[in-house]
Amino acid sequence: MKRQAPQLVEHFFRHEYGRTVAVLVRRYGASRIELIEDCVQNAMALALTSWSQRGLPDNPAAWLMRAANNALIDKLRRQGVGKRVLASQAEGPTAGLEPEAYLPAEVEDEQLRMLFVCCDEALEPRTQLVLALKILCGFSVAEIALRLFSRDDAIRKRLQRGRTRLKALSPSLQSPALASLQVRLPAVQRVIYLLFNEGYSSSKPEQHIRRELCAEALRLGELLTRHAVGDEASSWALRALMHMHHARIEARCDETGAMVLLEEQDRNRWDKDEIQLGLQMLVRSSSQAEVSRYHIEAAILMEHCTARSYEDTNWKDIARLYEALERRHPSPLYTINRAIALAQLPPGQDAGPAAGLALLRSTTPPAWLARYYLWDASMGELLRRVGQFEAAIAHLTKAEQGAPTEAEKHRLRARIAQCEAAETS
Amino acid sequence: MTKYMLIYRSPAAAMQEFQPSPEQMQAMMKQWDEWKQAFKDNILEVGDGLKTEGRVLQPDDTVTDGPFIEAKELFGGFSMIQADSFEEAVKVSRACPVRHMPGNSVEIRELAGY
Repeated sequence: MKRQAPQLVEHFFRHEYGRTVAVLVRRYGASRIELIEDCVQNAMALALTSWSQRGLPDNPAAWLMRAANNALIDKLRRQGVGKRVLASQAEGPTAGLEPEAYLPAEVEDEQLRMLFVCCDEALEPRTQLVLALKILCGFSVAEIALRLFSRDDAIRKRLQRGRTRLKALSPSLQSPALASLQVRLPAVQRVIYLLFNEGYSSSKPEQHIRRELCAEALRLGELLTRHAVGDEASSWALRALMHMHHARIEARCDETGAMVLLEEQDRNRWDKDEIQLGLQMLVRSSSQAEVSRYHIEAAILMEHCTARSYEDTNWKDIARLYEALERRHPSPLYTINRAIALAQLPPGQDAGPAAGLALLRSTTPPAWLARYYLWDASMGELLRRVGQFEAAIAHLTKAEQGAPTEAEKHRLRARIAQCEAAETS
Repeated sequence: MTKYMLIYRSPAAAMQEFQPSPEQMQAMMKQWDEWKQAFKDNILEVGDGLKTEGRVLQPDDTVTDGPFIEAKELFGGFSMIQADSFEEAVKVSRACPVRHMPGNSVEIRELAGY
């Protein structure tokens, strides 16, 4: 009776790509990034045939590491770089070890360090993100382009910029210790947040692709707080907010993949365990006096996640929190959300739909936002609530034209119909 | 059962560009595993792919760079199977993962047994 052959875990190749490259970059220096990536890619191709023929080795990760390392040493030797030179260049506590002998915790450290190396201040955040997606997450150029709504050549250009920067680093910065890179923590958090948002907020690519990006961000967030260099209140707040978003991801889409608005979501489909996890992380993040933007966003999410229903939500605090966010990071998107929160409150001073509307009207949206359908959608909604149906229809119609998905168009058409019905009644 | 060699060919242009991502490689491994499982009584050797670099020792003893670059299709790999008939060999070939790449063909040749 043949035993069930061991299987590779999901995304094994992709994740091992990141781990193997990270360890080898530490070992041989960031300037050799292209050579290292080639050797890892080739080791995987080798693994594909070898393992298909002979079955999985006992330790697939170590097999890959050894194959890639051997290929690399061989290539370097042909370039005239001998073993003694390499040994003298190796730094850090693992310098004397063969890469495949690294402990899992050491491999994790190298992954985190690689992330910090990618978040180089000379590179734009988007380039940092692309570099991380390629090197750490193991996605191909085409896979990255698909996920970021970009084209292959644009992604390739960004990667080139990133690799050029890595290759230009001075010898002393080729393999810096992780602690020395702590100053990059905000950039690292920003990239993780960017990555999460690409998965969570975008409405176009396949659901499983979006969830995969969120999963990557969560994974990197966990890597971050496990190490002293990332174990800061702001990192925990970032993780808290990502988990509280992620907990509701099932309810955000219906069976057809169409987006479901917060007020219409079935809260029973929210993952209560993950919300709990997020709340615990939020508590953990309040250990210090420092309040980051992630703290405020997490606090807003906490209100949503702990509310029994849309109507029963603490809109007063949410409005106040958006105001705090606006003060630190002025953004019309925060203003819109504040206006919507205010509109939920009973009419009063600075509260209610009229107050929300007044806030929106007092804001001059930048051109990019004025064109964005959400602006018109919000205006239309508030106008509808204060009974200005004609003006509402005008804005909602404009929003419908600019809406990115059929689901959104459908929703806006329903609102328009509501206004028309109210007008004639 | 009779032994057959399966010869995999790809359109020449496609061979150059194909660099699977780690994710794609994992998917391919799974496909090959599934093929092996489904036809474990037929497959003698899963075989291997062939790199595009090569040499050709010509009849006149000279050595040129190969493979023949004029060919529109390139011999990309092989497997060894056993089957009771060509029909059965075709059945095994139909399910082979190389067919996921558009334009790939499988030539099925019976071993002579010399």
